[in-house]
Amino acid sequence: MLIVIAGMGSVGFHLAKQLSKESHDIVAIDADSEKLTYAGSLTDILAIHGSSTSIQTLKDAKIEKADLLVAVTSSEEVNITTAILGKKLGAKKCIARVGNAEYLSSNSGINFSQLGIDYLIYPEEMAAQEIVSLIFRTAATDVLEFEKGKLSILGLKLDKNAPVIQRKISEVAHEYTSVDFRIVAIHRNLKTIIPTGNDKFLFNDQVFVITNPEGIEMSLKLAGKENLKFENIMILGGGRIGKRVAELLEGTMNVKLIESDEQKSIDLADELKNTLVLRGDGRDIDLLAQEGIIDMDAFIAVTEDAETNIISSLMAKHLGVTKTITLVDRVDYIPLTQTIGLDSLINKKLIAANNISRFIHKGEVIAVATLEGIDADVYEYTAHPGSPITKQKIKDIHFPKEAIIGGMIRNNEGHIAIGDTQIHGGDKVVVFALPGVIKKIEKYFH
Amino acid sequence: MNFKAILYIIGFLLMLTGLFMLSSIIFSILYNGNDIPAFLISGIGTSTIGFLLWIIFRKAKGSEIRKKEGYLIVTLGWLVMSFFGSLPFIIHGAIPNFTDAFFETISGFTTTGASILNNVEALPSGLLFWRSMTHWIGGMGIIVLSIAILPFLGVGGMQLYQAEVAGPSKDKLHPRVQETAKRLWAIYVFFTGIETILLLFGGMNLLDAICHSFGSLATGGFSTKNQSVAFYNSAYIDYVIIIFMFIGGTSFSLHYFALHGKISAYFKDSEFRFYFGFISLTVLFTTLFLFFNNSLSFEKSFRNATFNILSVLTSTGFAIADYEAWAPFFSTFFLILLLFGACAGSTSGGVKMIRYQLLMKHGILELKRLVHPHAVLPVRHNGKAVPNDIISRVAAFVFLYLVIFGIGSFILSFLGLDIKSAMGSVAACMANIGPGLGLTGPVSNYSGVPDLGKWFLSFLMLLGRLELYTVLIIFSRAFWKE
Repeated sequence: MLIVIAGMGSVGFHLAKQLSKESHDIVAIDADSEKLTYAGSLTDILAIHGSSTSIQTLKDAKIEKADLLVAVTSSEEVNITTAILGKKLGAKKCIARVGNAEYLSSNSGINFSQLGIDYLIYPEEMAAQEIVSLIFRTAATDVLEFEKGKLSILGLKLDKNAPVIQRKISEVAHEYTSVDFRIVAIHRNLKTIIPTGNDKFLFNDQVFVITNPEGIEMSLKLAGKENLKFENIMILGGGRIGKRVAELLEGTMNVKLIESDEQKSIDLADELKNTLVLRGDGRDIDLLAQEGIIDMDAFIAVTEDAETNIISSLMAKHLGVTKTITLVDRVDYIPLTQTIGLDSLINKKLIAANNISRFIHKGEVIAVATLEGIDADVYEYTAHPGSPITKQKIKDIHFPKEAIIGGMIRNNEGHIAIGDTQIHGGDKVVVFALPGVIKKIEKYFH
Repeated sequence: MNFKAILYIIGFLLMLTGLFMLSSIIFSILYNGNDIPAFLISGIGTSTIGFLLWIIFRKAKGSEIRKKEGYLIVTLGWLVMSFFGSLPFIIHGAIPNFTDAFFETISGFTTTGASILNNVEALPSGLLFWRSMTHWIGGMGIIVLSIAILPFLGVGGMQLYQAEVAGPSKDKLHPRVQETAKRLWAIYVFFTGIETILLLFGGMNLLDAICHSFGSLATGGFSTKNQSVAFYNSAYIDYVIIIFMFIGGTSFSLHYFALHGKISAYFKDSEFRFYFGFISLTVLFTTLFLFFNNSLSFEKSFRNATFNILSVLTSTGFAIADYEAWAPFFSTFFLILLLFGACAGSTSGGVKMIRYQLLMKHGILELKRLVHPHAVLPVRHNGKAVPNDIISRVAAFVFLYLVIFGIGSFILSFLGLDIKSAMGSVAACMANIGPGLGLTGPVSNYSGVPDLGKWFLSFLMLLGRLELYTVLIIFSRAFWKE
């Protein structure tokens, strides 16, 4: 596929890197030649210098042959203009990144697809949604929900007293046959493995388990966790994400929001009726103490500055806050932050890139997600009637070792896959995969 | 440094080299040559060693190749290839001396075409073919060929591409470097085929036609005859070779666009216009000079002028006349041409037109800048402003090139060559032309150069082919510091 990406910021760069690895043809446009040179020296792309709103530049990028145009510059206006021009010049599909929730709402009265924009992404909204689901699933480090929670993948860090420690997966599975869950991956010593029945659970493993709503309780118990009900939440940073999280939570919990900018904090206080808005620096320990950080159940650090977020989350953790959620937008920091003991990480750039990549994978991908900090992707596919995946039982189809079928949603009900499961046409299948096997998996669904 | 990945890829290069060697057997059999055992031993030996490296280090497949590894793979690859490539000559006994055989082979791979052989026609057909084959492999570059074949190189392939295809402009013809490499080789093979057919029509036999196609498109210059192209004494053959030397000296990106229906791409390119203009002027001058001062017909004057100027400018090195005999000042004239080179992105060597063009513009603008100290006057190329860092990189390259030329000339005169021959051979080897001036001029060869000089010139050929930095960087301390 020929994919034109306008904007080589971190979303664009991450997308280019991921897609060129999957042997797509990538043309990158950016007005900043330094960014382009950087991207061009690290990925196999064709770099075109210029503004993506220039018609000539788009033509130079062979837009008329492009299967997909992705406009992800830092400016919403540029993205929308680029997508509209690109569509008129012949791009088959156009995606634009926006920074304003108004565009997404169904009563905006504007039909964007008529303008030529097939899809709008708003990474901040997605990040906020992910934070909220983490708040409701307090024991998990990661939560991915499919079809409104019919199936979910939970990331669980194994405690010392977890009952499964030092036991084989097959043993545990045997003992709890009544429970619907399946271990899809284990993250251990910064490496992600797809386990077999003979692998053992070890202390401090991060285990990824897929389960349906009934299995959640039991999965948590086996990991030595229980789901707490949170009441007091502190948010650091009143940007788009912080504001949106406060909006979503303020009805059910006590929310405190810290923002350092004076005018911004006044505006926030005006709009968030049930949130206590505080003005101050989140790294100021006195302020945190005064506002009762010790009594907080969760601390959410979502300022623009990754360093501030990391430091303040560590401080919160140190002061005994049960759960911290940290926005880290620098991809290179992710492996580091895991080793220093932060609970959950959010990266809006990865979220955005994943949301876009589902347009690219063939074979009816419904959703793609990356679990922060581990080297694996989760795909949701529709199994077509007659596709290879539906021909035999799972244990007989020789599915790639680097991937695992977690479960499927059939007739609006979540089922966990086991060796004897037979996939039917029309099932929505959740696949957990290490990088680089997507091509092989696609064949099974095509 | 990821040595496993380096050896893994070098293993692949050796397998390719070995296979190319084995393919030369076709001509040994066709012409009943006595060189079949030489090719069997060296071909099978080389591919086996390559295959073993490839197998032993197969775990390095797909591992990351950074810039540093890229430079090392390319430089080492070319050296190792030249070493193994010289085996058929040694084993057969046509060139018993290792120094001579290595010189001949690296001269082939770098498309220099400098020879130590006094009697080329004594070589069996298979060896003649292999000698020209080295040109053809080296012309577009074996690394580019590997990138076209190996699918998993990805970003690593790009690092390799940048190390082998040096130069100020590296046009990608396609978003993916593998596809770019495939297209470049396809154009190259296409032109080679056409030229071979045209030369067959001119009365050459198959071996000679292929060898001369290899020699002209790769801008190499090895001939199968002692008198080079002059042997045929045919205007048709001369003109065919003139055209294909010109094609070899033109940027292959432009050929790509032209073959896709945009013929106008040629004259829209400012470097091509400069190249064409430069050739026209020098040819016009030389033709008129020859016509009025030597008793040659106008056509013959034109043909001699065009053939020899293109041969030197595109760094081919075929000869149909001894240009030094035309008039004494032609030694100076051709020494200047030796330092020029053709277009970037072609198979030719030398400094390349675009570098002179940019520096020339820069120099002229400097005058304007003195008059208008506040004016913003960027150097323009193809209508676009060229960033200053590119200009300074080009200036550094040309400076370094001239410094090496100076030092090299000194070393060769120290080894006993007269000043004309010393300067001529250094310039001709660095620019991958082949015949230089005086002792190493168009009617003689490099057999008279002392052994030490041959090794030094071999080094210069590689330096020139990989455009200095890829080789020089390996000698820098920063390169080896982790």
